[in-house]
Amino acid sequence: MLSERERERYKRQVMLFGEDGQEQLKKAEIFIAGAGGLGSPIAIYLAVAGVGTITIADMDVVDQSNLNRQILHYDRDIGKKKTVSAEEKLTALNPDITIRAIDCRIDETNAADLVGNADGIVDAMDNYPTRYLLNDTALAKKIPLFHGAIRGFYGQATTIIPGTTPCLKCIFPNAPPKEVFPVVGVTAGVIGTVQATEVLKYLLKSGDLLTNRLFIWDGLLARGEEIYAERISCCPACGGLNPETTPGGKKK
Amino acid sequence: MTVKVRFFARFRELLGTDILLEKKSGMVLATLVRELAEKKMDGYEAIFDEKGNFREFVIVMRNGKRLELSETMTVKVADGDEIAVFPPVAGG
Repeated sequence: MLSERERERYKRQVMLFGEDGQEQLKKAEIFIAGAGGLGSPIAIYLAVAGVGTITIADMDVVDQSNLNRQILHYDRDIGKKKTVSAEEKLTALNPDITIRAIDCRIDETNAADLVGNADGIVDAMDNYPTRYLLNDTALAKKIPLFHGAIRGFYGQATTIIPGTTPCLKCIFPNAPPKEVFPVVGVTAGVIGTVQATEVLKYLLKSGDLLTNRLFIWDGLLARGEEIYAERISCCPACGGLNPETTPGGKKK
Repeated sequence: MTVKVRFFARFRELLGTDILLEKKSGMVLATLVRELAEKKMDGYEAIFDEKGNFREFVIVMRNGKRLELSETMTVKVADGDEIAVFPPVAGG
């Protein structure tokens, strides 16, 4: 049940998806991998939308050079753990939800536990090895992976439904070389909000998800395009995986 | 009688937007892209390695379907094909 305060807080979006929809969000649990450039807008918008439980994992400390894009962190947070800073901001934005901020490096030993019973995983990482690990975790748990990545004015996003859509390895079999990538905050804003929109649509079971499509944003041209993508039958990560018998958001 | 080649993101910055090529059907896909990219050395180097092969992270799609890079050396383009070449971005 929504409280009086929640009813008032979510008034303008309840107009869109009703109290039932809002209840669905409240019951939901989302895992966000990373509290950086993408993780910031994703966590902020999912928090204010009322996603009931948000787990966010990051291992870094706030650095001055993060502040051009990582809008969860302020100048006064330099030197603080990103998880501490994130929890403080997200709780201040919406005290009616539960924030679990976990200070750790995501690796193969802890990924499954960190994700726990989450309804979906949001990829807000800055490297492909961890992304492939999130992909494997999502496939094993049969929960969606909301992928996003940015560089400069460019970004990409897609929604992966295990067994149904291409997985991350089907689309990107090989990681690009490691680099200190140039980036401007607005690109993280565009792609992060696309990912957060996908999460809300998935939880609300509304609209058409960004599935089988890679969305490519070119900020310099102000053009969004999409590339159709198919599953690769011999994919080392998802080959042979069947769709879940009951597609859609998990009921609790 | 045309084949369309679309570069994305950084590749587009280096090599230009949608490129329409005439009378290229029957050409091996990798050769076609190599010929195009050779016009701008920095663009070429972003996509191909020193041996002239696609760099391993480059994504090549033909009419919406990703090709294994080994396939690009044998697959021939046909009239009306749309080839997309793009680099995955990694940042977050």
